[in-house]
Amino acid sequence: MNGLMDLAIRKCDGAEIFSIEQNENSIRFEDAKIKYLQSTMQSGLALRLTKNGKIGFAYTKNLRSNEELIQNALSTLKGGVDAVFEFPRTESVPALNSYDPSIEQMNNAMMVDECKRIYQFMENKITGQLNITAGTTVTNIRVGNSCGTDLASRSSNYYITIMILYPGSGTGIHQSLDLKNFKKVDDSFMNELADLYSKGRKEIKTTGGRMKVLFLPDAMYTLIWRLQSATSGESLYNKQSPLADSIGKKIFDDKLTITNNPLDDNHPGARAFDDEGVACHELPIIDKGELKNYYYDLYYAAKMQAKPSGHGFKAARWGGDRISMKPVPTLGHLWIKPGNTEFWKIVQSMDRGIIVCGALGAHSGNIPNGDFSIGLSPGLYVEKGEIVGRIKDAMIAGNIYSVMNRVAAIENKNHVAYTGYYPAVLFEDINVAAKS
Amino acid sequence: MFDELKSILTKVDADYADIRHETKKETRITFNGKDLTEIGNNTTDGYVLRVIDHGGYASIAFTDPARHEQAINTVLQNARLMSSAAKQPVIFKKSPVIKDRYSPELREDPRDISIEEKLQLTRKYNDIIMKNEKIATTNVGYIEQARQKTFLTTEGTEIQEELVTTRISGLITSNDGKLIQNVRVAAGGSNGFGILRDREDDFEKRAGIAVDLLNAQPIEGGCYRAIVNQSLGGVFTHEAFGHFSEADIIENNRSMREKMKIGAKLGSELVSITDDPTLAGKLGHYRYDDEGVAAKRTELLKQGVLVGHLHSRRTAASFDEPLNGHCVAEDYRYAPIIRMGTIFMEPGKNSFEELLRMLGDGYYLIDAKGGQTSGENFTFGAQYGYMVRNGKIGAMVRDINISGNLYSTLSNISAIADDLKFSEVGGCGKGQANIRSCYGTPHLLINNLIIGGK
Repeated sequence: MNGLMDLAIRKCDGAEIFSIEQNENSIRFEDAKIKYLQSTMQSGLALRLTKNGKIGFAYTKNLRSNEELIQNALSTLKGGVDAVFEFPRTESVPALNSYDPSIEQMNNAMMVDECKRIYQFMENKITGQLNITAGTTVTNIRVGNSCGTDLASRSSNYYITIMILYPGSGTGIHQSLDLKNFKKVDDSFMNELADLYSKGRKEIKTTGGRMKVLFLPDAMYTLIWRLQSATSGESLYNKQSPLADSIGKKIFDDKLTITNNPLDDNHPGARAFDDEGVACHELPIIDKGELKNYYYDLYYAAKMQAKPSGHGFKAARWGGDRISMKPVPTLGHLWIKPGNTEFWKIVQSMDRGIIVCGALGAHSGNIPNGDFSIGLSPGLYVEKGEIVGRIKDAMIAGNIYSVMNRVAAIENKNHVAYTGYYPAVLFEDINVAAKS
Repeated sequence: MFDELKSILTKVDADYADIRHETKKETRITFNGKDLTEIGNNTTDGYVLRVIDHGGYASIAFTDPARHEQAINTVLQNARLMSSAAKQPVIFKKSPVIKDRYSPELREDPRDISIEEKLQLTRKYNDIIMKNEKIATTNVGYIEQARQKTFLTTEGTEIQEELVTTRISGLITSNDGKLIQNVRVAAGGSNGFGILRDREDDFEKRAGIAVDLLNAQPIEGGCYRAIVNQSLGGVFTHEAFGHFSEADIIENNRSMREKMKIGAKLGSELVSITDDPTLAGKLGHYRYDDEGVAAKRTELLKQGVLVGHLHSRRTAASFDEPLNGHCVAEDYRYAPIIRMGTIFMEPGKNSFEELLRMLGDGYYLIDAKGGQTSGENFTFGAQYGYMVRNGKIGAMVRDINISGNLYSTLSNISAIADDLKFSEVGGCGKGQANIRSCYGTPHLLINNLIIGGK
């Protein structure tokens, strides 16, 4: 990396090198049969150069020649992308405990044994089919630039997702663990999953209408995606945000506090700096319903004449090869402040309503406008405070600026969920369309 | 490259092994509104090694050839672990040994066209959109991928195949200060740069739709009869039915496998669905899959009856059904999985106008906006639609998401038009992205569609 940097800065005004090395193992069991066991050993290097007010970009998976990569980046300068920002000088960042070295002692046989143990434990508790996905990832990232920034991060991750399928479908009740190293799944975790599954076994048809809807943590991303879109510096610059000029305004129910905290190393994936070498920090997005901050990468911060907030990550909603991506404003470490009500007490408070365990089609509504319209995958139906079955053929729809102003209750603890760590949240008066 | 791969394969002490090397050349040009935000050409490469040993199957993807011995050790350890953990040994269906090199015929090879010309064309289409004052922004880009794949097996197969994909596509956002709306725009294919030329009218029309949506009414949630256009019908065919024809989706799902048995009556007699990667000129075209199996036209549903599944060598053996060459990887970062190539519903006999008359009152829903399945249930969005009264197209509607059940929807297709049309760009996300996933249907008249509304 140092040789590449030395060569690059001789040929341009500024340079930035991002490198990543990632080793992964993943395993999947379906219906107690092992389906696959696969590994990857991937690396990559991306170079951004600035010269005469323009910025160039190149990347490679195998650095065979420094000169070739630099020439490749230089050749893109003639395209004329404006270099509207300067690379940051970040001298130091907090040391995070993002890597647990004991993950190196772990092997794939341990994951196989854990999956078999879970099957044995659940065998007499459920009638549905059980699928398990587990895996490990060790990631090394380094970001350096010609202003003297040279930062490195190492992180470890062990994850496991258990899904119990309802008969005749690919839908079911699921729950995940996301840790820095291997840990056996607790009995209570499996018992809670089996209990929720059993309560939804009966298939129910009901009429639509407006009712209470409880979003489980893994369905909350439906709403969070729309908030992420609206508070991004990219959306603000592109006039795609309904929250422009709304800092300090109350936009949600005052029970809602939503924060992005990359420094929280209790969970895997903590980061002290973003993929552009800007220091990360805790950023309140919503505080008691009030919009507190937008978030930026270097490019959109410059465009909006704002301060980079340390949210420039090489990320995309549908994955992709990180090395080939340009950084974009990204909220990757979200957290919703828990409420004070136990999960089952929230369920008991519902006279009639739906529990959304998973969302189907959360990406296909009008995200910038805050609209959502999702299938239930599955949705459990609640009457008089009890789950009476799972609802068939229904959708729920709404707009987050209306729905998230009608929070009835928030669960008193957070769970690992897609896009963050969330509690279950109960909303009032949501529109349900159903084939009765 | 054949020699390098052979030298790696000879070091693999297993019952079977194959290795694929890919070089991927990618060109990207992106406009966000009036700003050019990205331009460049890049080349990356990597390897995928798969082995079967004592009935255990494993794969590894790696990028650094200097680490190939570590990769071999890891994949062999994994295969042996699989062997001890699996209840049934993995067997690959016997496939003919093939030695071939294939490059599809292109109408203008994009690699022969300068990046300046690609930038000029992309800018022209973006400018057409941005000239409309109610357009807030665009995210419109040119993406070109040229993949050179080299594949070898210990059985003796040696294949080189090129896949070249181009597109100018993206999102158009309109904003009147009170409402934000968007539509997608796409031109592209796998048959050369020529398909991107002379598309000015398409980009102008899409900008107009984005603006018209600002005055459209939200659709009322409920259960309706509707005509869906080719794009939306194609997403239904791909998402709701197609994924269940993929044997790896159903193989370990007891109830789905029972429902998707060959001979099962799944839908209306009007409905026949086929997947055919051999259709040259279509986005999903390839000659060999990433297991070295020749792609075959595969009938899946014939007059409402299930007649086929899409297979890998492993599932073809376990289902005891014929190979059809549908095991494909996104690129060198992945082992292949079962994918659709070009899936389509056979055309019917009615004209679109006849479908409108048969509909009477209902909705005409247009263009897909993403879709997702979970078991037999699906949800997908429509970009816009129109109210239909007495067979006449009326006011525009927005905020349309459809949900349903595969089997009841297949049975609820009450008429099929004669105007089959295929998609130009793809984006299936079954674990790996497949930008060459192609689908098509004619216009379809469907009863009892659940629409979420607003």
